[in-house]
Amino acid sequence: MLEITGITKRFGAREAVSAVSLSACAGEFVVLLGPSGCGKTTLMRMIAGLETPDEGTIRLCGEDITRRDPRERDIAMVFQNYALYPHMTIAQNIGYPLRVRKRPAAEIEAEVKKVAARLGLSGLLANLPRQLSGGERQRAALARAIIRRPKAFLMDEPLSNLDARLRVEMRAELKHLQHELKIVTIYVTHDQAEAMTLAHRIAVMRDGKIQQFDTPANVYQRPLNTFVAQFVGSPSMNLIQRDGVILGVRPEDVQLSASAQAGASPGRIYVTEEMGNETIVVVSDGSSQITARCPAGARFEFDSTVWYRFKPDKVHRFDSSGARIPD
Amino acid sequence: MKRTRAGWYEAARKAAALVPYLAAVAAVFIALAPVYWLLTISLKREVDQFAYPPQWIGFTATLEHYRDAFAGGSFAAYFENSVLLAAISTLAALAIGVPAAYGLARFEWPRQWDHRIGDWILSTRMLPPIVTIVPLFLMLRQARLLNSLTGLAIVYTGFNLPFVVWMMRGFFEEVPKEIEEAAMLDGESRAGALLRIVLPLVRPGLAATAVFCLVVAWNEFLFALILTQTEAAMTLPVGIASRVTQYEIKWGAMSAAGVVAMIPVLVFAAAAQKYLVRGLSLGAVKG
Repeated sequence: MLEITGITKRFGAREAVSAVSLSACAGEFVVLLGPSGCGKTTLMRMIAGLETPDEGTIRLCGEDITRRDPRERDIAMVFQNYALYPHMTIAQNIGYPLRVRKRPAAEIEAEVKKVAARLGLSGLLANLPRQLSGGERQRAALARAIIRRPKAFLMDEPLSNLDARLRVEMRAELKHLQHELKIVTIYVTHDQAEAMTLAHRIAVMRDGKIQQFDTPANVYQRPLNTFVAQFVGSPSMNLIQRDGVILGVRPEDVQLSASAQAGASPGRIYVTEEMGNETIVVVSDGSSQITARCPAGARFEFDSTVWYRFKPDKVHRFDSSGARIPD
Repeated sequence: MKRTRAGWYEAARKAAALVPYLAAVAAVFIALAPVYWLLTISLKREVDQFAYPPQWIGFTATLEHYRDAFAGGSFAAYFENSVLLAAISTLAALAIGVPAAYGLARFEWPRQWDHRIGDWILSTRMLPPIVTIVPLFLMLRQARLLNSLTGLAIVYTGFNLPFVVWMMRGFFEEVPKEIEEAAMLDGESRAGALLRIVLPLVRPGLAATAVFCLVVAWNEFLFALILTQTEAAMTLPVGIASRVTQYEIKWGAMSAAGVVAMIPVLVFAAAAQKYLVRGLSLGAVKG
């Protein structure tokens, strides 16, 4: 479906994207995840045709689109700041892709109504974008993207301007919508929770390179290096230097007890954070801090002594360069 | 009634609060007094024009100077020249300057050439216009464009271009580039996105810029005086001044022409006022 081969983009001397290869199957939801400046947005803009790659090819449905104009790619994009046309009503905004394609007015109107109803915008069609709330603008931008049934969707941090509650709502909405439409989607985010919940596959990026491209479960359970291990999961994985290797343990795989146990090491409580449904406990063992995820109601006093141990089959091992050591 | 100390203080405070209003009234009066005087002179009989004490109101009104200036005299022709010149030079400055501004605002230039080009364009506004007049005179003479509206139109266009480029560049930069990118992904070419999405968004800026160009071209005196010496290409400001002759000064006709000369600018500014206010305060473009 979408096939990216050896894509490189330089800005001056800096390589924003270095020889990235990536593919997405028909109807797949792929999330590009990484910190800011990792090249994920540049990669997406090259797929859109807003940047031209220095090397490599992009193929969509078998056609080479690497150097085509954005308008000839049949790709729709949703921007972080929505990028609605401020001087047009919501109806005109949503219908714009069809109007550019010179579809008959009656057909455009019918399509706009259909899409607006699907996204709960029916009552807002006569409004201007500035009269809408953030969430409504986001829906309008989505409506404009889906109305023409493109070959692919690109979404550049579409939820990051929404407040926390709305973001979670829209996330679910988006996932269902993509499932309905079955159109290949590339989604850029720095939020690992969004990536985990939305993606069929996640491409974790750093410094212009893909660190790991796999299903959310595999990225979480078998991170290929310490960067992926720490970037995915919250609170992030504990990394402990021991005998020349780095041990990685997820907070839920750290067991705490108030009394001495076989195979457990002592530490002191640094802080406990009640989350309501669970408690995050940070233990200090002198040289490093270890975060543990405990059941709700776990109570520890500041500076009291606890014993911690790792579930033995849940310890990840990385070499000193950070790469995973095969089990 | 005897005032207490507090009473005096209160009175002084009230008086002080009036100061800004008084200042505003004085400013309006000072600004409008010459205009009013111009208007009355154009309507007074010649005997009343320099009566002493001056007749501010209650003089015998007459339209003879207007008749004199426009029916008998050549002011109608000057007026037409000025209209043509202002319109053509403004349109030309916009036609060249708007794409230039867009290019400077949007495209990536190697080694920040956009800044350098921008600075060079601006630099032409820094020298006093009069220093360019001799070279311009020689160039126009060589091109046989002295005494022609075409020649003046070219000069005015060049004169307004830097302003257009700088104003419009600011307005284009205010439009988030994602809006344009969205249009291109929606199926527009770059030109289509510029025409149908970006230009409507910078309309207030366009209006403000156009009004400014029109006013400059309309009022311009120095270049018109030196680069045109025949009736054929004479503009209103030069025409009005030419009524100061060796033998007499035709105050009435000059004033009448002056009043008429103000009208187009007033009308245009009023029509564009909605845009002017928004246009001159940057940041009005975002929706």
